[in-house]
Amino acid sequence: MNGPTRRELLIAGAGAALIAPGTAQAAVGPHSASVPVPERLRRLVQLEMLLLFCYRYVLHSSILSRRAERTLQPFVAHEEAHIHALERQLTARGGRIPSPPAGVAAANRDLAHRKVGGRLGQLRGDLDAIRLLLTTEQVTIGAYFVALTTLQDSDLIELACQIMANEAQHDAMLGLLLPPGKIQAAVPYGLVQGLQ
Amino acid sequence: MVSESGPRPPRRGAGSSRRALLTGAGAGLAGAGALLLGGCGGAATAGPTTTVELPPTVSRQDIEILTEALELERRTVAAYIAGIPLLPRAPAHAARQFLSEELEHTGELISLIKTSGGHAPPRANSYQLGRPPDAAGVLKLLHTLETMQIATYLQAIPRLSPGPTRAAAATILTVDSQHVTMLRLTQGQAAVPSAFVTGSE
Repeated sequence: MNGPTRRELLIAGAGAALIAPGTAQAAVGPHSASVPVPERLRRLVQLEMLLLFCYRYVLHSSILSRRAERTLQPFVAHEEAHIHALERQLTARGGRIPSPPAGVAAANRDLAHRKVGGRLGQLRGDLDAIRLLLTTEQVTIGAYFVALTTLQDSDLIELACQIMANEAQHDAMLGLLLPPGKIQAAVPYGLVQGLQ
Repeated sequence: MVSESGPRPPRRGAGSSRRALLTGAGAGLAGAGALLLGGCGGAATAGPTTTVELPPTVSRQDIEILTEALELERRTVAAYIAGIPLLPRAPAHAARQFLSEELEHTGELISLIKTSGGHAPPRANSYQLGRPPDAAGVLKLLHTLETMQIATYLQAIPRLSPGPTRAAAATILTVDSQHVTMLRLTQGQAAVPSAFVTGSE
């Protein structure tokens, strides 16, 4: 291969096109750097709120197997903790905390906007629900990936890394709930940057 | 063929056999790891002193940080290679994939160092890994090394100066976190015990 590597493109500038693992072609757009920190944090909080809404909805919908329910239940508290941590950073910088999705319709609009397949209320079982959560987790990981290209504050960078890594753990556990249910299929990639 | 020469496209189901790992570029690593798990540690090979001209946006500190991370990844690679034969079939299969991903991390770091204007030192001849007596000991060792890597990345990433380099290092951190989750599961522990990955477990 004679072209530049993905990493060289990344180093070369934020406008580089990236191939996300698996399916997505992602881009860290040239405008990423121009997003002020409070706005970046507000977007992350909003995305975490959507993710939390989806977990709660799915866990209350009685469509999960007991195994899936046991696996996913602790993630609710994790997402809540992420939101609280980010909200503290956001308010400390004078930002306004966004509202969570007002209901299923609003959450579905947000999912559609973020190109997540599947809609709450139309999930037909375990696999539908897990796929929706998996994609939403990957979109969240992607948001932290983009944020890390522009954040400058050390504490914020560390927090973003800690949360991004935790979302990647959720991603792996969700993957384990999908067929074939094997560890190697749950962690299929050497580099995880999520979906943008 | 598995090597640490550079980033490779993502793939599903690595399927690299131990035989494949022991051939070609993987052979030196495999030999080093296997010997060391047996306790025959040796001195690390000192890399050549290289004078490089740094691009204006990259600090020498970045190259040092990335080199430190590379050394840890290489140690973990050696541990996987040496430990896999002691694992039962299912964990061994997963560990082979994790090994392949760790090798990808070394390639990624070498690429980052190169792109930053530096020169990756050669890998050590051997690593002191102790003497895990059984599969449980190997899993514990791998868990410890993966956790060390996470702690290192969490300290290192905020110190890296170009944002895209930070993000690139984070794509390795995420996978090491997933490895820890799966190792914990294999060890009968809670897979995701905390909302924040800190590397301090």
